[in-house]
Amino acid sequence: MTGRWAAGAAVVLALGCVTASAQQPLDWPRESPPPPLPARQVTFPPYELRTLPNGLQVVVVMHHEQPAVNLRLMIGAGAASDPVGKKGVAALAGQLLDQGTANRSATDVAEAIDYVGGVLSVGAGTDLSFANVLVMRDSFDFAVDLLAEITRTPSFEQAEIDRQRQQVLSGIQVSMDDPAYLAGVVFSRLVYGDHPYGMPHNGTPQTVLSISRDDLRAFHQTHYAPNNALLAIVGDVDAEEAFASVERVFGDWERRPLPPTPSTQLPAPARRIVVVDKPGSVQTAIRVGHVALPRASPDHLAFDVALKILGGEGGNRLGSVLRTERSLTYAASADVASRRFGGDFMAKTDTRSDATAEVLRLIVEEVARLKRERVGRRELENAQAYLSGSFPLTIETPNAIAAQVLESLLYGLDLGDLPKYPERINAVTVDEIQRVSREYLQPQQLSVVLVGEAATFLDDLAGVGFDDVEVLSVSELGRFLGQGTAQATLESPLLAP
Amino acid sequence: MKSPAAGRVLLVFAVSALASLLLLSATVETAVRPPKFDYELHTLDNGLTVVLSEDHSTPIVRSELVYHVGSKNEAPGRTGFAHLFEHLMFKGSRNVLSDSHLTLISRVGGDGNAYTTEDSTTYVETVPAQYLPLILWLEADRMATLRIDKETFESERLVVKEERRWRYEDTPFGLLSEIMYDQAYSVHPYKHTPIGTMADLEAASVDDVQEFFDTYYVPENATLVLVGDFESSEALALVKHYFDRVPKAAKPVPRAIPREPLQTGERRINLTQSQNWPLPAVIVAYHITYDGHPDAYPLHIAVKVLSDGQSSRIFRRLIYDDQLAVSAFGQGTIIDDPNLFYAVSVVQPGRTAEESEKALIEELDRLKTDFISDTELQQAKNQFARDYVFTRATVEQKASHLSHAAVIHDDITTADAEFDIFMNITKEDVQRVAQTYFTKENRLVLTIAPPAPAGRSFLQPGDEE
Repeated sequence: MTGRWAAGAAVVLALGCVTASAQQPLDWPRESPPPPLPARQVTFPPYELRTLPNGLQVVVVMHHEQPAVNLRLMIGAGAASDPVGKKGVAALAGQLLDQGTANRSATDVAEAIDYVGGVLSVGAGTDLSFANVLVMRDSFDFAVDLLAEITRTPSFEQAEIDRQRQQVLSGIQVSMDDPAYLAGVVFSRLVYGDHPYGMPHNGTPQTVLSISRDDLRAFHQTHYAPNNALLAIVGDVDAEEAFASVERVFGDWERRPLPPTPSTQLPAPARRIVVVDKPGSVQTAIRVGHVALPRASPDHLAFDVALKILGGEGGNRLGSVLRTERSLTYAASADVASRRFGGDFMAKTDTRSDATAEVLRLIVEEVARLKRERVGRRELENAQAYLSGSFPLTIETPNAIAAQVLESLLYGLDLGDLPKYPERINAVTVDEIQRVSREYLQPQQLSVVLVGEAATFLDDLAGVGFDDVEVLSVSELGRFLGQGTAQATLESPLLAP
Repeated sequence: MKSPAAGRVLLVFAVSALASLLLLSATVETAVRPPKFDYELHTLDNGLTVVLSEDHSTPIVRSELVYHVGSKNEAPGRTGFAHLFEHLMFKGSRNVLSDSHLTLISRVGGDGNAYTTEDSTTYVETVPAQYLPLILWLEADRMATLRIDKETFESERLVVKEERRWRYEDTPFGLLSEIMYDQAYSVHPYKHTPIGTMADLEAASVDDVQEFFDTYYVPENATLVLVGDFESSEALALVKHYFDRVPKAAKPVPRAIPREPLQTGERRINLTQSQNWPLPAVIVAYHITYDGHPDAYPLHIAVKVLSDGQSSRIFRRLIYDDQLAVSAFGQGTIIDDPNLFYAVSVVQPGRTAEESEKALIEELDRLKTDFISDTELQQAKNQFARDYVFTRATVEQKASHLSHAAVIHDDITTADAEFDIFMNITKEDVQRVAQTYFTKENRLVLTIAPPAPAGRSFLQPGDEE
């Protein structure tokens, strides 16, 4: 949960064409859109990449317009590397990085970073853990020292563990009222099954309660190593100064043997529909998809374009069908989530409760149509025009450059592809879209999650082809997430009967 | 991984206060100064304000077209209308088919959007620089010739209702803002939030659309800000080509807004919220001043001291030391008309709302009785400088600062000048504004709780609280 909200920001996502006519009293020319000015040269901004003898890879992107520096350290292990039965270790360990070190208490760390007007953020995702420090230029040395201290010597004091654990548990309790969270965790569990990607990053109350100080120290000891880390230094700093500072604070960090990567197989897509009943809801959160492909797959680019046609910028059939043509939703989209060991695709929207079955039918039909029919050449060109045309928008800030470089390093992609993104997008053909759609989409094997007031729509689901529906109450969610997994076996004493 | 520093700083001084403070300012003790904006300001014959700021670092351009009309301009019984109208601006004009505005932009690799606040409605585009003519043409076309028809109006109203359900009704604590403002105000339209009520959305008619368009969507009520890779002279010629032909308004833009009467006694409200309210929330709110009033800056310092970072007072007290709250913060909404300074605590399971209320009020009262420390003051200034620097990295952020200064302050120089004003705030200033506004008579204490006992949790009996 975030601590703040903005009053009344409203977003508009409207695509597609519907003709209409009306009288215009004003004398105003009838005309077509104007032609563009001469195109500008677009160049991928320079960056420097070096590897320290201990294996730490360091990227420097210099940018001198604003007097600020951003340091981003990434560890190549996240929630997917949690020990069996201890879901939430990576997340809790990440969250504790700034809660005390060998030299400073949690409050010392907070006071130090706050005083210089800096921002410190820490945590863990699926495949990585991270610590970021943003400071103004004159605090660069301080930031480098602090980053090394919190990532190399976190103290994991018991009192701080207890505090953060309570925050995680309370956060989960709040999330139990959040349809987007519920839909997301159930969808992951359906799609990834017993694979580590199938459980929520933060764990469940049962697993979080079982995490000990030793678990956290062991995770840190095992995964936080220079040969498993990436560091980006971005902004108003000289490259040589940056590399020298990194050498100073990370140079003596000892290389360590890394554990073998988890080898759990991803399950094959299997048709399954789960309703999380939330009486009183006015909308249903709908998530539809299945396992697709890992980030490093050579088909990733073409599949991503195919999904943009289904539900992304520059295309978005779902938006046209559900919003523009039928006013059934505020937003509909489809995305590829590709990680190190595998990925998924997911179509999502939220609609008023009584329209749930109809919207589900329309989504499933659009997935099927993408597999069944060749996309139009014009439709592909529009998606390509957006993706390749927006390239200059994606390289505006040094942080955006660093993020692209770090992503490539993390997933083992070819760095040489980064500047060639527009050319690679424009080379995708209609045939290729059809090939990847046929290969990766299985409309008969979709996982479906519906979070909303079951009584309103449950009887309609059979009529749109889903008759084997599992219905869960929110209080049954913990059991559902744990069932059939190694976690369930280990943690069964903590599970409710 | 988004940084909490990304929030925009919205607090700026009035010109008079600014001038007097600049005279007093001697040496400003701060770490790093951000560079100043380079911009041109023009006004077209029809009244359109134009701000041009060149930035050649990336071949893109950002456009912000701000209409100085928001939910506070809505007629009684028409809450949510300014935002509903914003949606209709994507439904076609003389040369643009319904829903094709964004399609035309995405086909050149650009992004477009719009948002509505209490005070203004902003239409934005970011495109590769060579497509500047396209976005000017699109914006001028809908400013002059918006297509309005009943069928489109009714279908888009359904979409806005879905937006309300999704963004506010089915989200944990999603209605907190709405409830707070409804309780805090009696007559000023800040009593309602921009999304409005379902009943009022339903009551709106297509006739209201034409009236609103004719009244508020006129050049003299609009400011166009362009930031990016262009030559200003060339950009100005393009702006004139497309916008000079938009006619001047037939009547002046109405500016009268009902004033909120002074609150003269503490208001205490306890409510139960059965849906999407997982934990009790305590809100302590005070009526404050408007953006541009000299008190605005010290109030902003107070926000920093209370709530910026883990060493801030509210975080340290309620979350870290006493562990009373899952989330707690203080915030000042300083906008066109007097709004609220409020502190919120989402109560930690096992603790009480009374404990949170007591702690929040004590922290706010402490600002009245004791000076903040020199360290806290310097820290707040460093954090302000950081916000200033970190939120001017992109053409989008730059355009946002410039438009805010030009529209809300009606003085574009404030986009840069606020920095020195802020650096000269004293701890006496902070105490003075705390004593002015954080009084019991001016206070609303609002507790909103789920039906007892605590809501739907899958924490099991015997687990930790």
